[in-house]
Amino acid sequence: MRRLEDRLFVAAVVLGSALALAPLAHALAVTLYNGLSTMASAGLGFFVNPPPTPYSASLGGVAPALVGSLLLLALALPPSALLGLLLAVFTNEFPGSRAAALVEVGARAFASVPTVILSMVAYSLIVVPTRRYSALAGAFALTAASLPYSYTAFSSALRMVPEMYREAAYSIGMSRWATVWEVIVPIARRGIASGVLMTLARTLGETAALLFAVGALRYVVPLNPLGPVDALPLLIFDYALSPYKLFHEVAWGAAALLLIVSLVLFALSKAVVKGVRL
Amino acid sequence: MLSEKDKIFYFSLLPPALTTLGLLALIVSTIGAKAALVLPQALAILAANVWDPENERYGLLAPVLGTLVVASIAGAVSLVLGLPLTLAVAELLRGRLGSVLQTLLEMASAFPTVVIGLWSARYLAPFLSENVMKPLYSSFGFIPTFSCRPLGGYSLLTAGLAIGFSVVPYTASIMIESYRLIPSTYREACYGIGATRYETARIHVSLARPAIAGSVLLGVARAMGETTIAAMTVGNAMNISACLFEPSYTVPALIAAQFGNANLYRYAEPVLYLAALVVLALALALSAVGFKLVSGWRVRIVG
Repeated sequence: MRRLEDRLFVAAVVLGSALALAPLAHALAVTLYNGLSTMASAGLGFFVNPPPTPYSASLGGVAPALVGSLLLLALALPPSALLGLLLAVFTNEFPGSRAAALVEVGARAFASVPTVILSMVAYSLIVVPTRRYSALAGAFALTAASLPYSYTAFSSALRMVPEMYREAAYSIGMSRWATVWEVIVPIARRGIASGVLMTLARTLGETAALLFAVGALRYVVPLNPLGPVDALPLLIFDYALSPYKLFHEVAWGAAALLLIVSLVLFALSKAVVKGVRL
Repeated sequence: MLSEKDKIFYFSLLPPALTTLGLLALIVSTIGAKAALVLPQALAILAANVWDPENERYGLLAPVLGTLVVASIAGAVSLVLGLPLTLAVAELLRGRLGSVLQTLLEMASAFPTVVIGLWSARYLAPFLSENVMKPLYSSFGFIPTFSCRPLGGYSLLTAGLAIGFSVVPYTASIMIESYRLIPSTYREACYGIGATRYETARIHVSLARPAIAGSVLLGVARAMGETTIAAMTVGNAMNISACLFEPSYTVPALIAAQFGNANLYRYAEPVLYLAALVVLALALALSAVGFKLVSGWRVRIVG
């Protein structure tokens, strides 16, 4: 009787886990299947052409959204990583202090702000006063959206550094400042690099934060950070909701591209911590 | 306690350290200030169900109820699917296979939500409509939640399940991290008295109950603010119904659909900021309770 119960339990756990992973596995499979067939029929033009109009003869490409996404990441990631690192160093160095506790609470609260709200804030603080949608406004929302990721990743990287390095540094008379920047942060560099890649992967797919900030400049490759841009997730979102079959195909292609890049960044972030040389 | 040099260090890091709090205050005050115009009528707006910008008549009841329903379904999904994953990773497969499964979970949490949204709109919605909603409607149509004929699949149920699937890796990772903190003495004691894996797991799960509840609340808080998947699956209709198969709205989906053109009307924008304020308050409160449960439990179980 007890053995039967145990068998049933194992079966239920296996079934439940399979049910949890099945939707995501199916999503992965059909996105790659549909997206790669779009890319195959669009050819290399998928990366250099603007998207099609609803009744175009050819599929076109996603060049403006791709460049826009890269521009947004280039603007949003450095401030997010820098702030995240300073926050992580602070809570790691002064763990008992009241300010560190406040920083922790702030970071947690920040992580639970819905990203669509960040987009509304970027709209009212940047888009309305400057009278234009811009990559800058998008970068502001993205920085805010990615800060919790970079902070969490960096603080766990710093916590991994064994305490004895700190003691060794103090024992040869190094100051706390020097200990942090010349001993602890360099030792944690793999973890920090991994955190940057992970943050990049998550920020790349962020959609809602951009909705009312960047203006979706769909057919022109953007070069001006103060002007409107498009982004891959926004293009997927808009095209999926459109009634045109051609747009749906482009959306699948862009989705596969986004998913592949996210997964590659994820794999890299894992490889960096394991010390695999690539 | 700190030396003179350390104090300089402390105070030089303090301003950047407090930026998150500053940003948080900026967010809340911006949203609050923009909603100020309609705050005196907040209760009336929350209780009404109408979206008619042409005549400047607004109500948020449908999206607020829809948000609660969708987030509850997503929370239930993340419990029902997150717990088996936790037990698989932390109890049954404590070797290489377990860490492979955990890496798969982390990978799944790196899936962009817009991709899950696209998949849900194209595959999950029609699948649920044909294989779940229609059979439930024809066999259990007398139960109010199943009492409407499904059309196309864009519905509260689809949005709840889709968001649930996307939240599971997040919830499960917090559950796994907590489960692993249970001291091994409990496991040794269980095996020592000849308990089976099932009995051991039952004892561990009942020990971890507050942490599990906290993880689910954190999942619900996240589900509440999920915009992309909701906008692509919930059907976008100002509709209040007990039936889960009908299209409705969530607050983030309403914002995604309406905020872009809201500046054409006088009150549409403030009403949407009010809606954002409601969801922000709910998400912050739920996640605060969730964190409190999880971290309080962690201190007790390790201590």
